Amino acid sequence: MKILLTGLNHRSAPVELRERLVVEDPAPALRKLVAEEEVDEAVLLSTCNRVELIALTRTPEAARHRLRSFFRRDLGGDDLAAFGDIREYLYEFTDAEAVRHVLRVASALDSMVMGEPQILGQTKDAYRDAVDCKACGPILGRLFQNAFATAKRVRTETRIAERPVSLARVAVDLARQIFDEFADKRALLIGAGEMIEAALESLRADGLVSVCVANRTPERAADLAVRFGATAHGLDELETLVAQADVVLTSIGGNRPILTRSLVEAALRMRRNRPIFVIDLGVPRNAAPEIDSLDNVYRYDIDDLASIADGNAQERSREAARGEAIVLEQQQRFEGWLAALRAVPTIRHLRTRAEEIRHREVQRVLGRLALSEADEAAVQALTRSIVNKILHQPVSRLRREAEREEGLVYLEAARELFGLDAEELRPGDGLGGSSSGAAGDESEPTDDGPGDR
Amino acid sequence: MLGPLHQLTAALYLLASLVAGVGMAVPSSRVARAAVGLLILGVVIHGITFSVLHTADPPPPLTDLPAAVSFMAWIGTIFFLALLRWAHLIHLVGWVAPVAFLGVFFSGLRLTAAGPATFGGSGSWPHAHVLLGSAGISLLGLAALAGLLFLTEHRRLKAKRPLSRRLGLPSLEALDRVNVAALAVGFPLLTLGVITGVLWVETVSGKLWTATAHETWCSIAWAVYLVLVAVRFGSAGQGGRRAAVFAVGGFAFLFFAVIGVGLIG
Repeated sequence: MKILLTGLNHRSAPVELRERLVVEDPAPALRKLVAEEEVDEAVLLSTCNRVELIALTRTPEAARHRLRSFFRRDLGGDDLAAFGDIREYLYEFTDAEAVRHVLRVASALDSMVMGEPQILGQTKDAYRDAVDCKACGPILGRLFQNAFATAKRVRTETRIAERPVSLARVAVDLARQIFDEFADKRALLIGAGEMIEAALESLRADGLVSVCVANRTPERAADLAVRFGATAHGLDELETLVAQADVVLTSIGGNRPILTRSLVEAALRMRRNRPIFVIDLGVPRNAAPEIDSLDNVYRYDIDDLASIADGNAQERSREAARGEAIVLEQQQRFEGWLAALRAVPTIRHLRTRAEEIRHREVQRVLGRLALSEADEAAVQALTRSIVNKILHQPVSRLRREAEREEGLVYLEAARELFGLDAEELRPGDGLGGSSSGAAGDESEPTDDGPGDR
Repeated sequence: MLGPLHQLTAALYLLASLVAGVGMAVPSSRVARAAVGLLILGVVIHGITFSVLHTADPPPPLTDLPAAVSFMAWIGTIFFLALLRWAHLIHLVGWVAPVAFLGVFFSGLRLTAAGPATFGGSGSWPHAHVLLGSAGISLLGLAALAGLLFLTEHRRLKAKRPLSRRLGLPSLEALDRVNVAALAVGFPLLTLGVITGVLWVETVSGKLWTATAHETWCSIAWAVYLVLVAVRFGSAGQGGRRAAVFAVGGFAFLFFAVIGVGLIG
C-alpha cells in the first residue's frame, strides 16, 4: 500500500491555472476515481491556493499516471492547452513525504500566509466530502485525523497564529487595543480602496455597525455609501464627521493632508477628548503626522502598519520551526501506526487457522457426547477463551514488532511456524471497514488492528 | 484561628497570581477564568478572616496599619471583581491578584504582633474613619493601577510598537472605564473617611482641627482629589492619558499623606 499525493499550489502554478482547476463539488470526481482499479482511497483538497489529490493505492506506478491524468483530463480538459504540459506545475510525493505534506498543509505551514486559520477548515471539508462519498477509507481517514490533531497542536503549542500579518487585520488588532468593543463605535471612511474595504470588513466582523463615508464628490460618496450601507457626506463636513467618528479610515488622493492638526484638535474638543484611531492608507498621507502629538489620537499610516505586519510575519517564521518539529513527531506517530498494519494479514490468518482447528476439534468431540444446548454453548465459550488467551501474547508482540523494520522477522517466523501464507494488506484491513466518522473523531482500532499509541 | 485563615487567604491570592501568570503566558482565557475563581475564593476566605477577627474579645483594632492594608486589599479586590464583566477585565487578574497577595502578606507579617488599642470615649468614629478611608484609598489605588497600565499601553501605541498579547492588558477604553468608576466610588468614600476622622478628633480633643501632620497632609490630599474629580467629570472632558497621569500622581500623593507621613513622623 502506498500513499501518493499529486497537486499544485501558489508556489508551483500561476493563479490563472489554479482558478481553472478549482473543484466546487469533489464527490463525482472522487467516486469515479475510487471506482477504478488504481486507487483504493482518495481525498481531494481544492482551495484558491492549491488543488491536491491524496490517494491510497496498491499499484503505485499506475496510480501515479492516473493522478496526473486526473489533473490533465478530469479537471482541466481542453482549457489547459494554453499552459502547455501541466506536469511542469505538478508536484508528487509518496508515503512519508506525502504524509508530511498533508500534516504541513493542515497546520498552515505550507500556506501563502503562514499560520492562516482557513486552511484547517478547508482540509476538514475536503475530508468530510471524501467520507460522504465513501472515497476515504480507514488509512487516509487516520491520516487526516492525525493532520487535524497536528494542526491543533501547532496552533496551541506555538505562537504561529498569534499576530496578524495582513494590513487590515493589523489595523483591527490595533483598534482592539484602543477600544473595548465596536458595536457602539462609528467609523468614517474618507475615500475608497481595496485596503480600506478590507479593514472595514474586518471591523464589521468584530461588531462595528455605524459607518459614514466622505468624499470630494457627493456622487462618489453616495455610490460608496450604498456599497457600504453608510451615510454619504462631502469633505466640507469633515470636522463634524471626525468629531463623531471613533475610527477614521482614509485613502484619498491629493498632495496635502486633509486631516490637519487644527481640524483634529477642534474635533477632539467637540468629542470631549474621547480617543480617535486614524488609519491612514493614503499615499501621500492624508493625516498630518503632527497629530501624533495630540494625546487622544492614535495615527497609523501604511508604513506603520506594514512595519508591524512584517515584524509579525518574522515572528511567525520563527514559530514555524517549532511547528515543523510537531509535524515530524506526528508524522512518526502516523507512520508507526501504518507500519503496524503490516501485521494485520498474518494475525488474521493466524486467528482463522486457530479458529478452524478449534471448531474442527470441538465438533469432533461434541459428536461423541450427548450434551444439552447449554453445555454445548459452555464448551464453545471455553475453547474460544483458551484459544484467545494462547494467541493474546504472540498477537500483541507481532503488532508491536511490525512497527519496526527489524521486527518484520517476527512476522516471517510466525508464518513459518504456523504454516501461514504470505498475504497482502487489503483495503479496510485493521480498522473495521470504511471510515465514516466526522472530522475530528478518532477511529477505534479493531481487535486485529494496531492499537492507538 | 486567625493565623491559618490569613495564611489560607494569602495562599489563595498567591495561587491566583501564579495561575493568572500562566494564563498570560499561554495566553488562555480559560486559565484566566480559573485565576478569577481562585481570587473569588480568596476574597470569601478573606471576608471570613475579618469576621473571625471581630469575634475576639477585645477585637484587634482595624485602625492598626497592617489590618487596614489587609482591608484595603480586600475591598480593592471586591471592587475589581465587581467591575470584571462590565469592563472586560479578565486579563487584569494577573495584575490585581499579586497586589492583593502583597497586601495580605504584609498585614499577615505584623497582624499577630499588634495588640488591641483603646479609644476611650471616641465611640465608633475610629473604625468608621479607618474602614471608609481604607476603602476609598483602595479604590483610588485601583484607579492608579488602571492608570499605570493605561500609560504603558498608550506609550507603546504612540511609539507604534506592537503590543504583546501575552501582557494580557485590557483595551485603553476598558482601563479608562475602570479609572472613572474607581474615582466615582473611591472619592466619596475618601470624603466620608475624612469627615469621620474630623469627628473622631472632635470627640477626643473637643476641637475639629488639631493641626497634626496627618490631618494637614490628608486634607491636602483630599483637596487634590477634589480638583481631579472636578476636572475628570467636568464639561470639557479629559483625555484618557491625562486622567491616567492624574490618577497615578494623585494616588502617590495620597499614599504619602496617609502612610508616608505617618512613617516619617
